[in-house]
Formats: sequence, C-alpha cells, structure tokens
Amino acid sequence: MSIAPLSKELTMPDFDIVGAYRRILSEDSELTMPVAAIEALVEAIAASSVSTVAETLDLLSNLTSILKASIANPISLSAGTDLFQRYLITTLNRPAALNLGSNDDFKIIRNHLISNGNLFVERAKQSREKIASFGTSFIREGATILTNGGSRVVGALLRRAAESSTMRFKVIYVLSSSSSADAEGGRKTVADLRTHNVPVAVIPDSAVAYSLGKVDMVIVGAEGVVENGGIISRLGTYQMGLLAKSKGKPFYVVAESHKFVRLYPLNQFDLPIDQKILDFSISDDVKAVDGAKVAEDEGVADLGSSEPKHSAHTAANAVDFTPPDLISGIITESGVLTPSAVSEELIKIWF
Amino acid sequence: MSESAVKAAPAADVSVKAQNSQPVKAAGDAKDAKQTEGAAKDAKPAEGGDAPKKLSPAELKKQKAAEKQARRAQQKAAGPALKEQGSQQKDAQKQQKGSKQAPKDDKSRPIPVRRRPSQSSAPVTQTLKKEPKADAKQVGLFFGHLYSQPRKHSMAGASKDVHPAILALGLQYSSYTICGSTARMVAMLLAFKSLIASYQTPMGTSLSRHLIQLLGIQIEYLRDCRPYSITMGNAIRWLKDIIVKTDPSTPEIDAKRDLLDEIDMFIRERVTAADKLIRELAVTKILPGDVILTYASSSIVEQTLLEAHNAGISFSVIVVDSKPLFEGKTLARKLANAGLKVRYFLITGASHAIKDASKVFLGAHAMMSNGRLYSRVGTALVSMLANAQSLPVIVLCESIKFTEKVALDSIVGNEVAPAEELLSESERQNLLPLKNLLPKSHPASKEENDGEGSKPPVASDVLKWIDASKNLHHLQVLYDVTPAEYIDMVITEYGSLPPSSVPVVHRLRSEGEKQLFQ
Repeated sequence: MSIAPLSKELTMPDFDIVGAYRRILSEDSELTMPVAAIEALVEAIAASSVSTVAETLDLLSNLTSILKASIANPISLSAGTDLFQRYLITTLNRPAALNLGSNDDFKIIRNHLISNGNLFVERAKQSREKIASFGTSFIREGATILTNGGSRVVGALLRRAAESSTMRFKVIYVLSSSSSADAEGGRKTVADLRTHNVPVAVIPDSAVAYSLGKVDMVIVGAEGVVENGGIISRLGTYQMGLLAKSKGKPFYVVAESHKFVRLYPLNQFDLPIDQKILDFSISDDVKAVDGAKVAEDEGVADLGSSEPKHSAHTAANAVDFTPPDLISGIITESGVLTPSAVSEELIKIWF
Repeated sequence: MSESAVKAAPAADVSVKAQNSQPVKAAGDAKDAKQTEGAAKDAKPAEGGDAPKKLSPAELKKQKAAEKQARRAQQKAAGPALKEQGSQQKDAQKQQKGSKQAPKDDKSRPIPVRRRPSQSSAPVTQTLKKEPKADAKQVGLFFGHLYSQPRKHSMAGASKDVHPAILALGLQYSSYTICGSTARMVAMLLAFKSLIASYQTPMGTSLSRHLIQLLGIQIEYLRDCRPYSITMGNAIRWLKDIIVKTDPSTPEIDAKRDLLDEIDMFIRERVTAADKLIRELAVTKILPGDVILTYASSSIVEQTLLEAHNAGISFSVIVVDSKPLFEGKTLARKLANAGLKVRYFLITGASHAIKDASKVFLGAHAMMSNGRLYSRVGTALVSMLANAQSLPVIVLCESIKFTEKVALDSIVGNEVAPAEELLSESERQNLLPLKNLLPKSHPASKEENDGEGSKPPVASDVLKWIDASKNLHHLQVLYDVTPAEYIDMVITEYGSLPPSSVPVVHRLRSEGEKQLFQ
C-alpha cells in the first residue's frame, strides 16, 4: 500500500464497501449474500477511477478482503466474490473475446464489466424462480416435507408448489425459538405457507428424529456448496442429514449455483471460520465468554460499520457441514446435480 | 519426407527385429548363450508370422531335458505321495508346448517347477499367451493371469541397442533401488535424456522414425526388468508423441536440443512444480495436534510432512509398514531424523494404530478413472480401517498419475513380484543360485546355524512346503485397489478434488495437451 503507483487504490478503499454491502442487503430482502457482495463490488468499480487491468484486480482483491474481514461468516460471501474475481480475470485477460475493439480502450472494457455485473445480479435473482420450478417436480401429491431455517430458496420452492392448485402437501418446519434473522425468515415462510392453505407443523430441533417417520423427503437450503458436493448450512442441517440417511429419506438441497464455493472441508472443524460452539467451561458464566468475543471482533469497528455485527459464534447463527454422502441431490438453476457433479461444475469454472 | 527415408525405414525395422530376436532366443542363460545364439539364427527366418510359437530344435531339446530333470527333482522332494500327481503334471507340461526353459537361469528361480517360467526376454505378449495355461493350473488362485515372465535381474541377453544408462536403470528397477512410481518415471526420463544426447540418426532414416524404434527397445528392456508404472506409461506416451511431431526438416542438433528441453520442462512442470503445489495445499490440512497416519512410503507424503514440520506445526506421525519392501522404515527414519515424533507399526498392528490417528495421508501409484486408488498393497486395508473410524483419508497425487483405465478389483490388473521376496532373509539364502542343487537334507547353509538353533529347520520347512506341496502357493502382489468411497479427498496440483472428479481432470488435462499440439 505504500508504493506510490498504488495511490489510486489507496483512495479506493475509501469507498465504503462494507456499508454498500449492508445497504444492498437491507434494501432488498430477496438478495443473498454472494449476490449482494457482487453488487457492492460492481458499485465500487463503477465509482472508482481505475484505468488498467492490474489496477482493477488489485482494487477488487483489496475490497474483497476488507469485505470478508468484516463479516463473521464469510463462506457464503466468498462464493460470490471469488466468482466475480474469477470472471474478471478471465474477461480482463482475454479482452478480445468480448469483441470490444482494441485492448487499449480500457474504459469500454470497464463499462462492459459493470453492465455485465449487473446482468449477473439480475440473473441471480431469477435463478431462485427457476430452482423453484425445478424443485416442485420433486414434491409428490400428499407428501410431507421436512425443512429447516429461513432459506429463501426453500421458501420460494414451497410457495411455488403451494400455488399450483393441484398439489396438496404438508410441511414440517424445524425452527429454533431464537430471534435470529434466520428464524425470523423461517417464521415468515411458515406464515406465508399457511395463507396458501398448506398445513405446517413447527417443531424444535430436538423433535426431528421423532417426526421423521411421517416425513417423505427433506429439503434444505444452503449457505455454501463446497467442492466435494457437501453443503455448509445452518447448525442442525447435518443432524437432519444423518437422521434422514438412517431412515432412508431423500435429502435434497436447493441452492443457486453462485453459492458454489471453492472450499473443501474434511469435517465440522475444518471450516475456515472460528465457531465457538463447543465451549468447555467449568463455570456457569456464559456471558463472560460472549464479552470476550465482542472484544475479539473489535477489529471490525474501525471499518466504520455502525450496525451491530451478527455474531456467528453463537449457536443461533452457526453453521455446520453436511458431507456429500448424505445428500441425494442438489437442485440448482442449471439443473439437478448429484453431489459429485458439483466438483465438475467448479472445475469448469476454475480451470 | 524423402523417398529414401521411407524405403530405408522397413530395413531399419528388420534390423531391429533381428536384434530383438536374439535376446528372445538367447534368453538369460549365459552358460548356453552360444548354443542359443546359433539357435536364434535358425529361428530368424520364421520370425515374421507366429514366431512366438516356434522354438529351435536345440531349445526344445534343452527344455525337455529340463522338464524331466525338474520333475525328477520334484518327485524326490515330495516323496512317493506325490507320484501320481507327477504324472498329471507331465500332461500339464506337455500342454505348454515347450514354453519352458532350463530352470537354472542366471538368478535362478530354483524353487518350484510350477514357478519356473521361461527366462527369456521375449515380449510379454508371447509369454502371456502361453503362460496362463500353465500358471492357471499350477500357480492357481486368481492371479494366474498375472504371471507373465519373471523379472530380469541381469543385463544378459539385452539388445545391444539398449543404452548403458537404461541398462543400469533396469537393474535399479528390478532390485527396487529406484522404487516409487514418480521416481521411476523421472529416472527413466533422465536416462532417455542421456540416450537422446548421445543419439545420432543413422543414414537414410529420420530422427522421429528411428528414435521411436530405439525407444521401443529401451522400453522393452525396462519392462522386462519390472513392469512399468502408470506414470511411466503416461510419460512414454507423451515422449513418443513429441518425437513423432518433430519436424523432419529440423536439423538433428536442434531437434535433440528441443527434445531435451521438452523433457526437462515436463519433469519441472508435472513433477517438481506439481509437488510444490500439492505440498502447499496438503500442509494446510495438517493442524496442530494432528496425528497423521501414512502407509508405506510416498515421496510426496514425506515432503508434505517435512514441510509442515518445518512450518512449525506440532503434529506427530504414525508410519504403518509391511513386508517385504519395508519402505516405511526409510520414511520413519527420515522423519524422525528431521525431529518429528514418529511411531512405526507393521500392518498387523494397523487397527490399533488407526485409533490414535486423526488423519490418513496416502501416496498413490495411480488414480483410476473410476476414482479408485491404485497403490502399494495394504493401502486399501488402511483406508478401510480409517473409514470405519470416520477419519479423513487424503490422497496426495500428481495428475501425471491419473489414468483413463478403471479398476474394479486388484485381481484383473496387478504386478506380481518374485514371491521369494516374501520369505525371510535366512529363507531366501537357501534360494541363492545353485543352493538348490544340493539335496534338501544337506545342511547347506551353515551360517544360519550361527543365529538361532531352532531357525534353520523352520526355514527349510517353509521351503519344503513351497517346493513340494502342490496346492500351497506363495504369492506377492505389489498393488491393491482402494474403492473411491473410502477416499475423502485427492490433492493434486489442480487443487483438492473428490475422487469422482479424477476423470474430469484427466480429460481436461489430455484435452489441453491435444490442443497444445494442434
């Protein structure tokens, strides 16, 4: 950062990428984290005065690392930023492929990127509807579906199925009693389904095994789909997967393909985030631990974020990893994939 | 290409064949070399068509004598109980159409009659046709089809066109001095480099034509020393490809220099750089406090462990090893010398060792296109144990080891090594050349008596069983196949993959290569 030619980038992080990201997320409740990140990055590039390829890439990686550092759980977000970065690298390195004329005219390339970035955001929004239409064919007449959390894709899928008047099905919704955003989203979906005359039973995490006998299929959302076809999703998904497998119930994941993330966890404790779910203690004082966490997160404060940061460390917002052998299929906007096909999709993008 | 070159090529072909045919006949038997040489000359005219079937009268005679002798020896050893079987065997041997040769070859495969296949350096296809019949009956088990011809342990009978570097390399292969699929491939390429460096295109032929033929001879010799690895196969295919694509109009000096450069680049790109990337990736999977279990020895696993250790990660290693190569011993010693905490188990203690481990790192001989791992025999056992304990099994593997072949089990494709290697050192001493000429009861090895009083009878017991018993086979296969579901991750230079993505990467890689050449 101290080198003179980088002065332009030095000014660029002045663009409040974190603020933009948060604003975009809150403005449109339908947006997912990776898409919001991409939109924020496009905005940042549009606002910047970069004039070369290298500058753009530098700026991008700076902004990305700032953004990642500001979020407690950047797995989902990094899927978006990595994808955008990759896209930029491939297009910037082969400007001829864009048919935009001479290499020198960087302005045109930049404009193309910005418009294409917006196109990406538009497509990502549409993908949820596409997934919903793919997914409804999995729901049979009279089926009982087990799902959890506040995934908007799952919500969209179930709503779509409910709207098609011919089909009747029941939903068992696993919801924690916490007031996290995730649980709120789940409650909204429940209310929405009930207005569509879909019978919904809300159960706590502890009742999953109990209810499984009545369940025909499990559908969950995902925060990220990792390289081996496993998913990273809200805490409790893994146990649902294990239980569903042991009872022979199909376990489907719905996720947009921009959630595919270049990550390969071997087990629960191999995730690149620091979750303090297992907190061995000999005292009953839980609060003290929370206080320590706030102190740890102070590094974020100087980024000018006034919004209180969600703590992903607590069990309410934590995630777990569901290995691919528990998953029957991953429903994406480009089709229904087996877990092993995820790796092929990722290889296609990254090679 | 000029016409003269075209015309000359068949001529070169013939000369190569002729050179080839000599070792076929001359076989490994140095003693009878002169005789057989004459025989080879006789046989030459018949070389074109079904040459493999034809043997010179001298050879046939020799073989018949050998068979008789061997039968007699066996009956003597087995005692009267086996006499009836002996006659059975006679029939069996007659069916072999005299594929066998004298038993007392160079390094002497002295033991069983049934284990005495021809020592000739004839191409595998020849022997493959004849041997299975004999071996299916005599070697039995499921592995009969794998016995092609015994490994060559000497340079005797090698074609005169085999380059000295290759001659030496072959011996290093057969004695396991150079072991490990990557090491073997790199050593082979380096030997090919010295071959190319000293190569001169003969008059009237072109480099791309003649060099390929010359390479074929080298490869054949190497294969006789030990069947080649998947990596070697991949490298040979690549090398032949670039030789064929050499522009005939390029001056020889330039063409040779280009080839040498290409080989250097290949090694750098596919091995050196790949290893570096794999190491960097794999080290991130080693966390403080981990106990890494590994089986036998793999150079890339060793590099990774050392790098992680040098990076200051505190972890310990369990090396599981097995008879007869004891590759893990070297690895354990190297790691311990570097200051790592190492525990060493034999495979018999693997189920116990696995309980202390937190991750399993494995090397590979090859990754099959159905995601299965083809590696040192015993690997499947270790990974299944690890899977049962739900430990992550991580395979470190350069993409040069990927093959388009698939393997469903370890039986269809495998490498059978000399079974004597399974025996203990003292037992093997009994098998030294010419020892078997002594009567079995003779206290042949006095030196064994120095060790333990009770040992020699035990050792000779084992030999007696192997020698005499018709239905006791000893078998050493070198590899086994680990099903993909026991493997959690394959780390290659392209990143970490699930085993199901092996064919995808292999396809992309070969497509890329094709594009490169178009």
